[in-house]
Amino acid sequence: MTAIPAAVGLAEPHHEDVDTIGRRWRTGVLLLILADVAFVVSLIFSYFYLRGLNTEGSWVPAGAKTATIWVGWAIAAVLVLSAVAYRWGLAGIRAGKTRQLVIGMALASVVMLVAAVFQVVQLASFGFKPDANAYASSVYTIAGANLFHLLLTLFLGAGLWNRSRLGRYTATSFWQVEILASWFAWVAVAALGGALATSFIASPNHLSG
Amino acid sequence: MTAVALNEPVAHQAGGGLMRRLNIVTALIGGVTFGTVGWLIAHLLLQDGDHGSDQVVVIMLCSWAVGFMVGIGAFNGPINWLLGRDQTHEDELFLAGKDQGIGRYFRFTTDHKVVGIQYLIVTMVLFAVGGTLAMLIRTNLISPHSNFLSAQTYNALVGLHGLIMIIATIIMITGPFGNFIMPIMIGARDMAFPRLNALSLWLIVAAIPVLLSAAFLGGIPTGWVGYAPLANQAPPGMDSYSVTIIIFAISSAIAGANITTTVLTMRARGMSWNRTPIFVYGTIASVGLAIPAFPMFMASQVLLQVDRTQGGNFFVASGGGSPWLYSNLFWLMGHPEVYVILIPALAALMEITPVFARKPLFSFNAAVISIAGIVGLSVMVWAHHMYAAGWAPDLNGPFMLTTEMISVPTGLLFLVILGTLWRGRVWTTLPMMATYAMLWNFIIGGVTGIYLSDVPADYALHGSMFVTAHFHYTLMGAGLTGAIGALSYWFPKMTGRMLARGPALISFWLVQIGFNVTFMGMFAVGLAGQPRRVVTYAHLFATGNFVSTIGAYTIGIGMLFLLYGVISSWRGGEIAPANPWGAKTLEWTVPNPIPLENFLVMPVVTADAYGYGEPELPPVEPAVDPDRVPAHAGLAAEESL
Amino acid sequence: MSTEPVSTRAAADARRLEIRNIVGIWLGMTVLLVIFSLWVPARLMGPPASPTMRAVEQTMTIFSVLASPVAALVWAIALYSLLRWRSRSGIQPAEDGPPLRTHGPSTISWTVTSVILCVVLLIWGLAEMTTVSSAATAANPLVVNVTGQQWLWTFSYPDQGDVESDQLYLPVNRPVVFHVISKDVIHSFWVVQMGIKIDANPGQVTKTEVTPDKIGVFDVRCAELCGLRHADMETSAHVLSASDFAAWITVNGGHT
Ligand code: HEA
Ligand code: HEA
Ligand code: CUA
Ligand SMILES: [Cu+2]
Repeated sequence: MTAIPAAVGLAEPHHEDVDTIGRRWRTGVLLLILADVAFVVSLIFSYFYLRGLNTEGSWVPAGAKTATIWVGWAIAAVLVLSAVAYRWGLAGIRAGKTRQLVIGMALASVVMLVAAVFQVVQLASFGFKPDANAYASSVYTIAGANLFHLLLTLFLGAGLWNRSRLGRYTATSFWQVEILASWFAWVAVAALGGALATSFIASPNHLSG
Repeated sequence: MTAVALNEPVAHQAGGGLMRRLNIVTALIGGVTFGTVGWLIAHLLLQDGDHGSDQVVVIMLCSWAVGFMVGIGAFNGPINWLLGRDQTHEDELFLAGKDQGIGRYFRFTTDHKVVGIQYLIVTMVLFAVGGTLAMLIRTNLISPHSNFLSAQTYNALVGLHGLIMIIATIIMITGPFGNFIMPIMIGARDMAFPRLNALSLWLIVAAIPVLLSAAFLGGIPTGWVGYAPLANQAPPGMDSYSVTIIIFAISSAIAGANITTTVLTMRARGMSWNRTPIFVYGTIASVGLAIPAFPMFMASQVLLQVDRTQGGNFFVASGGGSPWLYSNLFWLMGHPEVYVILIPALAALMEITPVFARKPLFSFNAAVISIAGIVGLSVMVWAHHMYAAGWAPDLNGPFMLTTEMISVPTGLLFLVILGTLWRGRVWTTLPMMATYAMLWNFIIGGVTGIYLSDVPADYALHGSMFVTAHFHYTLMGAGLTGAIGALSYWFPKMTGRMLARGPALISFWLVQIGFNVTFMGMFAVGLAGQPRRVVTYAHLFATGNFVSTIGAYTIGIGMLFLLYGVISSWRGGEIAPANPWGAKTLEWTVPNPIPLENFLVMPVVTADAYGYGEPELPPVEPAVDPDRVPAHAGLAAEESL
Repeated sequence: MSTEPVSTRAAADARRLEIRNIVGIWLGMTVLLVIFSLWVPARLMGPPASPTMRAVEQTMTIFSVLASPVAALVWAIALYSLLRWRSRSGIQPAEDGPPLRTHGPSTISWTVTSVILCVVLLIWGLAEMTTVSSAATAANPLVVNVTGQQWLWTFSYPDQGDVESDQLYLPVNRPVVFHVISKDVIHSFWVVQMGIKIDANPGQVTKTEVTPDKIGVFDVRCAELCGLRHADMETSAHVLSASDFAAWITVNGGHT
């Protein structure tokens, strides 16, 4: 491979400009989201696969308790709200309003916290245990994975809020806020996916078992 | 170990902060402390329940891993970020291992070259353990009722051998060479996310004791696949399996995102896609395929742990669960994974062949298209492992179609290598010998794969030693052989020394002959009907197994020669010139030892790396400032060739 | 197989000779491999005890024969490159090889050939699948329920008064359909010499079918790791004449 020295170089070996670093992180974060998508899709696939098989008629045996459907949707709705607050903060910094960014990040995090509390409450009040049947195991797992998402995102939200409060983001350098917007959006989408899946309870398959 | 950055002994103010005090010792202390505390608390709170012992083990293993990562300093970065404390330039240099000598190999060091060496060591340790287990397995199988191992130990060791080897082969190319060589090959100063790079490595290090703990917790008596519901019944060794896989999946997602981003965004100026070396394609194909694949494996283990620790019903038929859920999730990962292993090995050999045939890579485009085709098809064939499972008999036909189709792009890679050899000036160095060995072994492995892809034939052969022989021919005959080729090819760049030819040559012949003896014998007993994973077998299979065991010992001895050759050459081998092979990729343009940031002047690429025998392009300018090259290596040596 | 301009007649002749040598090695190897294919795989699998196993052994033979020229071609070129194109100096060859970047005709013919091969294999496989499952649609199959559990097999004959046995008894030349299930973990029901195998899963019945066509004693093994004594989970399949089978059923309290 023919290599000729570039004109750039020695002058600035490691200080790449913000846009380059930002572009790089965007690719990286999208790939990590892709990995997480594969994980969440696997859980939802498991739910539908077991529901479809209804082995020994025991997916949800007659009379077994099931979850209240609206709770999942409510949590997802709160998460959508959080993502919207985030967007609003992002719009702020895009327009150079650092204050709006701080408020937006704080709001997004607080709303996220509310969702996490909701999620804990839901897990504690299903009225059945994960060992009841395959449905129960699946619902717990999807809810548990969601809670894990929320805790991780809370960390990110807290960091973003703190850093914007400390003035780490300026009108010309806020790529972290920009990129993590896709993570916040994905967390809301994942919760919506979980809520949608768990809205289909009874198995369509009455034959086996 | 060389590759020490010798430049700029200028005094600078100390960076690194707390990271200065953290290294593998604090990591071990952290891991043991957290693990013990986790165990104590869990033990006190949970002992009594139905699933108490599994809960305790899982909590202990996770605490160990968290403690280890705390102790190595993996969380310092995120917490500093949260607090708004950004790294200074000095911190970055400290993290990159500047002026730390050998100590940087035992730290959370971000320099991709250090990470590459660390991966190499980890891989070799895993192979050594997995290889030792293989010797125990073969010793037990030397005669029909050898009683060398109990049934329980035997089952436990087979699973452990399989899993260790699979993990080792997954990281054996993209770990050491993907990290050390690939960034230089594309003309970058480091990986896109150096901290994530260190994170992915140390996660694997944290996972190794977890994996090995299985040996003391009843083993992994389910085979490497961990099929449920046998896994629901298994001893706590199974929890080690799950926790290992979860950590490994996180590590490989991070590594995959990092390597892919590096290639996508950091190639040197002028390195368009048609000037990007084929090894780089192989690397991103492999890690890119792993990004969606391993999370599915992780999901299967999360479900398994819900079953084991919460009494869940994912795989329990009476509770509405199904073992087919596990096997589908497993093979949705499991088949792509075999190509995660194979593609970079073949790509390394495709990188090597032009250098030693002194000819351009034949049909670069065909090679790239084939790699893409394999990646695309490999996610659509998983159910060929489940023809006999009965989960969807009507799909067996379609899966036979996709499975057989994959031989077209794979076969095209053979043409690429043969075309490159065609009328070349073949220079039979060790790396080149690996190419030839692969051509022999992988035809056998591939063709036997085609037998298995045929549904009725698979009904007869599934679960027999024939399958075991097939996948050793692919995993070891093509995969590990490719990795050994890659190691002997890049050894001079990574260690600054030449790999001594003597022991490596003896090793090559012992390993390749032993390998073919071992697994030919295994094909024979497999066809005759010997099941896999059996501690005893019928007398009918005695001769074949005896032959296999002798072959395996030959491999074992051969591998010891390799190990000796690697260690002795690394410590005291002949000093390597910067470009001992006359190769044209960028990694050979940097001096030995490689400066901290690889290129003092960033290269600009004006042609691809395969212009052998073509009219000279503008001369290669050394991308380095001669003042900074240490006296004993580098360009002077290069001229002497 | 080169794009360089051919300079002299002698060079062209030399190339033709090279190709001839390679073709020679290729044909020689192909013949050896075909002989191997015709003799070895089926022989190792032993005498078949059902049309299914016969079809499988035929497949192994045919696939090996088809693979022979493919493998031989790869190995012939590799071998020739070692014999003739190797630089014997042991150091970096003084000059590079010809800068052959690509060669359309060989790439295309290689690809087309492997696609055709693939299609042949696929059609063969699909045809074979219908052959081996023909017992399922036969007029009067014998139904046998197979239950796997750690670590033994139980066979019962629902249409013969639920006779139960821990060894498998079958009448010769009558199609049999097995309904297979497990009581605990996954096992795999394998009648070795008949070439059939199907997993025994908990909670789901799976089916396989065969027409045994040879009287004798054959091996039933478990082909899926199922715990401690997986290696011992084997029993015998006895294929009897129709009258012997009827007698066996009656002795065991069933009716035919
Ligand atoms: C690196 C690893 C690797 C590779 C590359 C492969 C490659 C292939 N494998 Fe293999 N396989 C495994 C690792 C691998 N396998 C493992 C680990 C298992 C078992 C896991 C377990 O159960 O524990 C397994 C099991 C396995 C099974 C299931 C067996 C069973 O359990 O019942 C099947 C079935 O179809 C199969 C098929 C194939 C096929 C068709 C290929 C093809 O990709 C091969 C393609 C290559 C060629 C065909 C040769 C070159 C081609 C030409 C020269 C062109 C011309 C040829 C034709 C057109 C045919 N493999
Ligand atoms: C890459 C994967 C890999 C490799 C290399 C090997 C290597 C070997 N394997 Fe294994 N094996 C598996 C993957 C692998 N195996 C898997 C997945 C299973 C299935 C498990 C299951 O059923 O669940 C299996 C199962 C398996 C069985 C079947 C057990 C059973 O079903 O009852 C047997 C039996 O003989 C066996 C033998 C061997 C032998 C003798 C070797 C020898 O070749 C070992 C020789 C020693 C080494 C290879 C190590 C030395 C190397 C170095 C010191 C460093 C080199 C360094 C670099 C290249 C960086 N293996
Ligand atoms: Cu039953 Cu193995
Ligand atoms: Cu596969």
